[in-house]
Amino acid sequence: MIKPGTEAPDFALNDHFGRTIALADLRGRKHAMLVFYPLDFTPT
Amino acid sequence: MSKLGITDRATVIIDAGGVVRYAASVGPSGERDMAAVVAEAERIAAAYDGELRPDEAAPPIPAGARLFVKNNCGFSTAVLAAFDNLHLGDRLQVINVSESPDGLAELEALTGKGQAPCLVIDGEPLHESKAIIACLVERCAPC
Repeated sequence: MIKPGTEAPDFALNDHFGRTIALADLRGRKHAMLVFYPLDFTPT
Repeated sequence: MSKLGITDRATVIIDAGGVVRYAASVGPSGERDMAAVVAEAERIAAAYDGELRPDEAAPPIPAGARLFVKNNCGFSTAVLAAFDNLHLGDRLQVINVSESPDGLAELEALTGKGQAPCLVIDGEPLHESKAIIACLVERCAPC
């Protein structure tokens, strides 16, 4: 498990608008929250 | 991601310095406590001691651009969700043709039909909600 206090590995994912966002793009600008869920209409 | 211990409904918060500040995962039978996650995110943001560079200024929206929507329309709802998420409230005029006969007349005059949603930008109409959202993101979103 990724542990709090450790450096996050760089990655790139699509945001809710379909834009590819790399973690490096956010450095020094924004905090990031990754929320994974398996499917729509399943519990949060 | 499973190699990193992230299964279903994982939540990870990374601060602007690139440090993981929160990581949790619940299995298929569990539920994420979103109120607790939001509280944790707010705590992490408040505790961050680095400086945050401001966003670059959003590009100007062309004069005369208008977004036409209508009531009881899932496509209009999707477009309005993007409008809200992009914080375009005071930058792009929205006209609900279900509630504005003048707006409907304007839409018909501009596009030759009353189909909404419709984004008119640079004098060109876009009717497909996905195309409208993509255009709003490309043309109007902060970098």
